[in-house]
Amino acid sequence: MIEDYKITAADWEPLDFDTEDAEKIVAKNRTFLGDVVFRFSRKTSALIGIALIVLLCIFAFVGPYFSPYSFDTQSLEFANLPPRMKAAEVNGNYYYLSPNLKVIALSDDGVVKSTLTKQSEDGINKRMVFVDEDQEITVDYQTIPAVILSAENESQIARTKNIWNSKYLLGTDGLGRDMLTRLMFGTRISMIVAFIATFVNMTIGMIYGGISAYAGGMTDIIMMRIVDIISTIPLTLYVILIMVLMEDGFLSIIVALSSVYWVSMARVVRGQITVLKNSEFVLAARTIGSNSTTILFRHLLPNAMGPILVTATMLVPSAIFMEAFLGFIGLGISPPMASLGTMANDALQGLRTAPYQLFLPAAVICLIMFAFNFVGDGLRDALDPKMKK
Amino acid sequence: MLEVKELTKHFPVKGKRGRVVHAVDGINFKLRKGETLGLVGESGCGKSTLARTIIRIYEPTSGQVFLKGQDISGLSVRELKPIRKLMQMIFQDPYSSLNARMTIRDIIAEPLRAHKICHTKAEENELVFEMLDMVGLGTEHALRYAHEFSGGQRQRIGIARALILRPELVICDEPISALDVSIQAQIVNLLKKFQEDLNLTYLFIAHDLSMVRYVSDKVGVMYLGHLVELCEAEEIYNNPLHPYTKGLLGSVPIPSPRLARQKKKSEIEGDIPSPISPPSGCRFHTRCKYATERCKAEAPKWQEVTTNHFVACHLHD
Repeated sequence: MIEDYKITAADWEPLDFDTEDAEKIVAKNRTFLGDVVFRFSRKTSALIGIALIVLLCIFAFVGPYFSPYSFDTQSLEFANLPPRMKAAEVNGNYYYLSPNLKVIALSDDGVVKSTLTKQSEDGINKRMVFVDEDQEITVDYQTIPAVILSAENESQIARTKNIWNSKYLLGTDGLGRDMLTRLMFGTRISMIVAFIATFVNMTIGMIYGGISAYAGGMTDIIMMRIVDIISTIPLTLYVILIMVLMEDGFLSIIVALSSVYWVSMARVVRGQITVLKNSEFVLAARTIGSNSTTILFRHLLPNAMGPILVTATMLVPSAIFMEAFLGFIGLGISPPMASLGTMANDALQGLRTAPYQLFLPAAVICLIMFAFNFVGDGLRDALDPKMKK
Repeated sequence: MLEVKELTKHFPVKGKRGRVVHAVDGINFKLRKGETLGLVGESGCGKSTLARTIIRIYEPTSGQVFLKGQDISGLSVRELKPIRKLMQMIFQDPYSSLNARMTIRDIIAEPLRAHKICHTKAEENELVFEMLDMVGLGTEHALRYAHEFSGGQRQRIGIARALILRPELVICDEPISALDVSIQAQIVNLLKKFQEDLNLTYLFIAHDLSMVRYVSDKVGVMYLGHLVELCEAEEIYNNPLHPYTKGLLGSVPIPSPRLARQKKKSEIEGDIPSPISPPSGCRFHTRCKYATERCKAEAPKWQEVTTNHFVACHLHD
């Protein structure tokens, strides 16, 4: 192919200088949003964060439809069942001995069947006998932890085997409610509270900060001093006071969180707008004769959107944490509705025997916080035009 | 067309009550339709402030601005809106004067929307595309964002935005100083072409004296908020009267090493004094080698020495 090509003298003629060509832009037309998405997608941690958030949302919003239980379905006989049970084998049947000395019959694939009734108790030898159909199960509680004795030989401990709890995948809480379902509902509450609170905060903060910066002068000074005063009161204390005043429930949490956290957002917006207000494109808009609404909504806010979005994403985890904290100290969602904080609080009483009840909601809180912080980090980098490559 | 009378703009100094920056102090000049007035002076002498006070980005402290005989210095924002159509501004930095979140079409159409000139989108597009064509940019770029363009292209977008309302007076605040030399000529020629086609009046601010000579009919020299000399463009290069003007002209680089060696060094020494507490009398006396006791005590009057040649200096009383 290459040998076939003859270079003729005409190939060396200079091309006509075309003025059209000089103005041509070869680069692909990329919008601002496209740019941000491109830079965001190159950061692995941010992508992991997004994936986690999506998974958590599916878990929280779709999950409950696949669960046979509701957040308040309780069966007291199966209280405090861990996700992985140490089952003793007696004559081919499996029994789980709970720390409060109840014997629960299991199938060999981990489905809890029933709690056995106690037939007799020998207080001197510290033994209890339970009956399952026609079979006797002896529990020896001389030692701690108590053990189930083998059927053939009274002095031998039955063989044990660890079985996953397949009826309650993540176990049950102290009232025999399914942990997994309650986690789903708790995550759902956390997410809804966080999103609504963040949205309200963002709106209030943007309007307040925007007006403060755009008006400038005395208005700005007074509005910002009000913000300073609000922020000197510890926000936690403030939220607690609001919660005490209002009755327990979903709405009061949102009101409490929304009325407090806009302070930082207002500061960020005000800082951004103050800088942008004197930039040449805003002066240009003023000389053109555009009105204040156009300037604020077409020029100032879109250009300040980067830091606003980053602050908002960072606000989500703190709102979630605050909601969990309120639940933990007993001011949150009213029972029996589950929230990650109330679940952690409920777990405290049985912390030694059933630590999973605390660790599971704590782990979910961690996951949510991680995910949003990762996304916030990624957004900050993606929205910073100085990082442009 | 434009008349400025005793225009003054003082900025309050933060933290010091009662002290002000004398950015612009008692400026007088007249500009006829179709003319170009070039304003030159060191950085910080108040050129940009003057321009921004005329176009009412800043409120004037005192003095008047007449546009087509109407005093616009005291008008409210609402009263000013129809005036905006007559008077537009081209900004210095083509990078910061265009909103990065808007497409070129939206940027150029903004004046049309602000004054509700077009009723349909098609009408608006037609005007925008016509304007894009006039500044030599293809209409296929209309939906791109400003950051995708080069400096010269951006400045042409700025020009398109300023001219789409067909103003009569255009204030160019150093429109070429942020561009590289090859593009400067392109922009200046474009501005000249528009002046001929649309009979525009320019107030052209620059610190490049050779470029000012090329575009201007009249040249004004500013020093520390004062206009010190104003005359026809050729006159100021051939017969400068004020010592500061002479010094400025002496500092123009000559593109020939041989000639440059023969040239005397710039006559102005020292730094520009603080505009918060400007020198008494003639503001230039601290750096003027002809300064006398009288210069320190008494401010020189703004007077017409020869026809159309104004100067403020005791040497030419």
